[in-house]
Amino acid sequence: MSLWSLSVGASASVSSVTGGTGNAAAQRLIDIGFRKGQTVSCLLQPGFGAPRVFALGNATYSLDKETADLVILTDDRPS
Amino acid sequence: MKNVLLVGAPNSGKSALFNRLTGLQHKVANYPGITIDVGSGALRSDTRAQVWDFPGTYSLNAISGEEEVAIDALRSALADERPAVVAMVLDATRLEKGLTYCLQVAREAARSKKPFLVLLNMMDILEHNELALDLDGLRASLGVPVLPVSARTGNGVEAAEAALLNASAAQSPWADTPDALIEGSAQQIADRFVPQGELLVRRQAKIDSWLLGTASGGVAFVVIMTLFFQAIFTWSAPLMDGVEAFILGLGAWLVPLVPEGIFADFFEDAVFGGLGAFLVFVPQIFVLTLIIGALEDSGYLARAALICHRPLSYFGLSGKSFVPLLSGVACAIPAIYAARTMSSRQERLMTYVAIPLMPCSARLPVYALLITVLIPDTTAFGGLLGWQGLVMSGIYFFGIVSALLVASVASRLGESESRKQAFILELPAYRTPNILPIIHASVNRAGHFIQKAGSIIFTVTVVVWFLGYFPNGGEDLSASWLAVLGTWIQPVFEPLGLDWRYGVAILASFLAREVFVGTLGTIFGIENADDDPAPLAERITESGLTAASGAALVVFFTIALQCVSTVALLARESKSTGFAMRLLLSYLVLAWIAAFAVHGLVSLF
Repeated sequence: MSLWSLSVGASASVSSVTGGTGNAAAQRLIDIGFRKGQTVSCLLQPGFGAPRVFALGNATYSLDKETADLVILTDDRPS
Repeated sequence: MKNVLLVGAPNSGKSALFNRLTGLQHKVANYPGITIDVGSGALRSDTRAQVWDFPGTYSLNAISGEEEVAIDALRSALADERPAVVAMVLDATRLEKGLTYCLQVAREAARSKKPFLVLLNMMDILEHNELALDLDGLRASLGVPVLPVSARTGNGVEAAEAALLNASAAQSPWADTPDALIEGSAQQIADRFVPQGELLVRRQAKIDSWLLGTASGGVAFVVIMTLFFQAIFTWSAPLMDGVEAFILGLGAWLVPLVPEGIFADFFEDAVFGGLGAFLVFVPQIFVLTLIIGALEDSGYLARAALICHRPLSYFGLSGKSFVPLLSGVACAIPAIYAARTMSSRQERLMTYVAIPLMPCSARLPVYALLITVLIPDTTAFGGLLGWQGLVMSGIYFFGIVSALLVASVASRLGESESRKQAFILELPAYRTPNILPIIHASVNRAGHFIQKAGSIIFTVTVVVWFLGYFPNGGEDLSASWLAVLGTWIQPVFEPLGLDWRYGVAILASFLAREVFVGTLGTIFGIENADDDPAPLAERITESGLTAASGAALVVFFTIALQCVSTVALLARESKSTGFAMRLLLSYLVLAWIAAFAVHGLVSLF
């Protein structure tokens, strides 16, 4: 499943970041730490289709659907 | 002279640290040999050393044209033979986000034989939250000097300055490391040393759940934005009135000292009138920069961008465009400055394209006059609403919709990078704004406006005054060179049913749109039309302005970019006179075509 599917309060491990090496968004996600094995959690899903808020380590990022869908998760874990 | 190249990820506190290192002596300049503006200032403890604040980025792999320029600039600075030390600012609380970039730059610095060190910022937040970080272990893993600092409290800054001055190139473990290993190493270091501080995220998430909640977030946004605009446009009004009164007073005191005639007229109308016209914006720009700085530093501005991103993305704009666009409802000048918070040049340009169409307050007197001429003062819906007010609302709505549509078309035509750019926005931690650097930046911004835009505005003011004054010494505007120009351009406005008088008023209104009313007042022989447009409206009605021509004028003013201050500032801020001139011409042509279409349409009835 993709990062966008993660429900609020849930955590999961990053399996991969898709999009290939030429994808700038994928590259940036990797640069800021969305790498295999990292735990990411969904903090908020603001209404009206706004970008969602995710925590990665001590940092929080807001990603839109197209970007969050690039991050593939492996397993759900309790938050 | 030694150069200190300050680099780091966004929100790492790099600029705050720069302010500490330079004692707020910030100025924007070109780093020798490169073409982008970066902040620079002399090191506080040794003014022979110059600190350069490079734009923040997360990696040496650029994802936008603007990042590419910034990264190229850093590479050029590294390749430069002059002595320089590279200081990477890392956020100690969010160490993981900057480590890849840190190792990439460490490698480049090693290859360029430049000393490299890490300034580990925000240590005060770690200490405040009783979180630990193994500094010695981090130093050993990175293989470079690591100095704990706090830009906020100043702790560790002196030691950092000494380290910067004494740094020398040493053997680096990263000189030959390939990209794949850099990423892996960054991850290993992050896993080992990142403070386990879920506490920090939880605290922030608690505030976010309220400020970004569907209902509470909307309410908070409206309240904060209402206060924001109150501050800019209502609270700064007394300051603006004060500046205007001061300039007028100065003029009233000095002009009588000049012998009557052309020089007195020049000083009164062109110098003091011209100065007053743009200096009046200075307090507003100061207050705007102050409030935006406080919102940005508090962490809220990123949240506001998040809230607005979705609706604005339909029009090729970013969530960050919201504040500049809303500012544009009052005045394009602060709106253009507000767009500085946008990191992507492409997004900024799209916002610049939309701002001139937002219904600014300078258009209000023009609309008020034309509505008085065209719309009877009657009520609708059982006396609840006046037709004149409804039409005014319609004109404002038309302006806002036009701005969004034009931005949408421009972004599609231009294959806008912003349309393709991913939305990845780091939400900085909430904190109390550090007010002193914000005040300093606000003073700088106001000074920048006076120096840069002021000179262009003043020059155009003098030219228009000259054309309106000669050859008859300002006695009769209808016999001036400006009127001759109005006659020349009459064929342009004839298809809209407008004669030379409106042509002259439109030309004069390039100084500021509201000048249109005063100029028409002069031409029609009505004094003080600015204060009370009713007699002028009556005279215009008597002169036989048709509904079709009146409607065409409204549409023309809604679209045309008739404001020398806006054009001058667009040229400065976009660093492209060509962009500003293209926008001016495009909106003139679009305004004329739309006005012509409306004239034809209304003439049918």
